[in-house]
Amino acid sequence: MAAISIRNVVKRYGNLTVVPDLSLEIADHEFVVFVGPSGCGKSTLLRIIAGLEPITSGDLFIGDKRVNGVPAAQRDIAMVFQDYALYPHMRVYDNMAFALELRGMSRPEIDARVRQAAALLHIEAYLDRKPKELSGGQRQRVAMGRAIVRNPKVFLFDEPLSNLDAKLRAQVRAEIKSLSQQLKTTMVFVTHDQIEAMTMADKIVVLQGGIVQQYDTPEAVYERPANQFVAGFIGSPTMNFFPVELRGEVATFLNGATAPLDAALRARLKSAAGSGVVGVRPEHFEVVPSGASGIAVQIKLVEPLGSDTLIHFEIAATPAIARVDPSLKPKVGERVFLLPKADKIHLFDAATGRILP
Amino acid sequence: MAYAANAVTPDRQRAELVALSAPAVAFTLAMIAFPVVYTVWLGFHAFSSTGTQSFVGLGNYSKLVADNEFWHGLWVTLALYVLSLVLQLLLGTWLALLLFHAKRLPGVVRSLFISPFMMPPVVAGLMWLVILDPSIGAANYILQRMGLPPSDWLASPIWVIPTVAMIDTWQWAPYVALIILGGLQSLPPSVYEAAQIDGASAFKTFRRITLPLLLPTIVTATILRSVDLLRFFDIIYITTQGGPGNASNTLNIYGFRVGFEFFNIGYASALMLTLTAIVFGVVLAFNRLRGAVAW
Repeated sequence: MAAISIRNVVKRYGNLTVVPDLSLEIADHEFVVFVGPSGCGKSTLLRIIAGLEPITSGDLFIGDKRVNGVPAAQRDIAMVFQDYALYPHMRVYDNMAFALELRGMSRPEIDARVRQAAALLHIEAYLDRKPKELSGGQRQRVAMGRAIVRNPKVFLFDEPLSNLDAKLRAQVRAEIKSLSQQLKTTMVFVTHDQIEAMTMADKIVVLQGGIVQQYDTPEAVYERPANQFVAGFIGSPTMNFFPVELRGEVATFLNGATAPLDAALRARLKSAAGSGVVGVRPEHFEVVPSGASGIAVQIKLVEPLGSDTLIHFEIAATPAIARVDPSLKPKVGERVFLLPKADKIHLFDAATGRILP
Repeated sequence: MAYAANAVTPDRQRAELVALSAPAVAFTLAMIAFPVVYTVWLGFHAFSSTGTQSFVGLGNYSKLVADNEFWHGLWVTLALYVLSLVLQLLLGTWLALLLFHAKRLPGVVRSLFISPFMMPPVVAGLMWLVILDPSIGAANYILQRMGLPPSDWLASPIWVIPTVAMIDTWQWAPYVALIILGGLQSLPPSVYEAAQIDGASAFKTFRRITLPLLLPTIVTATILRSVDLLRFFDIIYITTQGGPGNASNTLNIYGFRVGFEFFNIGYASALMLTLTAIVFGVVLAFNRLRGAVAW
């Protein structure tokens, strides 16, 4: 078991800098998820930890050991790949036993470890099959089994659920989470899916352009996003953003429309030189009766999801979405009054995107 | 209504299918089936020097069983086949690995490596005939410069088979390399990263991962080369014509001589059909093997 310390790591491919200067501390036994859009450097960072990519500069520690030049095999890590990377010509048993054989482990010990991992992952029945005879979910489990038998200090997962269908993804997600609680090992998981990040992680690293945008618990990342990028990336549907200016007691949108502001937000906006970007998550709108202090909007589209209903509308020509109670039975063209929950409104700097206090 | 009138009935569809495929079927019958059937027919007949034919049934085949020259030809064919195939697979795999890993090798050098199989066999045969000439050839000159005794090469009954195998390997190992290189390039890179993390050395990676994954490709190359090698003709015809004596007299060369030098067309047809059966048998066996090593 081991902590991971990434200190001022830089990664360049020729003239292209993928990771400019990144530092990160991952505690022992922690389940950390790297999340971000394609090309944000999350997989590169994982491959750096695995030893599959050399570091241009900086230091990487696994436990107390600096592992910059240490080959992947000697880092005591195990990795589950996006395409599983199972040895296609070997039976499931041999796939799982291969690393142990290379370590010179005795046959009975290999057998015990393989069968123990197979039992944990419910793949005992497939041990004699080849990967091509397994479904995507079963291959996924074999890939995890191959990692588990090695009893590594750190587990690395490179988007391992992206090839599974939605139902299976949810199931395997829960299995990995439960596995992490049983194995009590440091785990680093890469995904571009913010739901995976939110549901599995002890801590989330939100990356963009090789820079850590926020490193915190899923709750904190959701409730208190560090900047507009994080706020927009985490949460589905995404947070609504409205550029506003403070004029008197009301917020004025770009096209001149106005909306009432509560005292606290007015004070925050005032301290930000009177302008900023207001962020409201779809679930933080309330439908209020007409005549109340809500913003009048016309429904453009209705998406019933069963448990909730999403309504699409515009505020001052800015498209927005609200999540409402399905019992309201909203209809396209209907006029409703929406009020953002005062304590859930985020305010960002219009120029830097940083959260404003 | 217009749609119903123009609707294609199953009968009409069948008639169209027959009409459209008939030229291709007729062409295939004319170009492939007819020569094969005619050869089979020839194999059941004997022809006199005046051109009269007589049905001999399996007579040509029973003659073949008792013919020492046939058994010698079969032995030469198989010896040349095994030796050439092993050499070509080993060298071809090595060359493919070299080309695969030497990614910075200029395109011209890569093309040079694989160019011999593009050379016409007549040119290759004549070139090697000169190189291996016991008195004026470069091969013996090099041996002597190295302090080694000269060899008779193609003129030696002992060395003729290894020498012909070497010439054929020089020409066709690059072809095998090209096929195996294609196989190497299609192997999943993440499997190698997994092996790297598992702690496999370069040798273990080759033996436990690359080689088993390449087996289907190697078997494909084996099948392609088997068909050619079992029908070994051109290089031998140019360099030794089956000699010295009958030391390199393969079944194909023997059949050719029986047919076109001794004009025993019926017996030559029986010989060639037997060789065809051997080629078929080998191809079928390797095809099964390909299924067994598929992953």
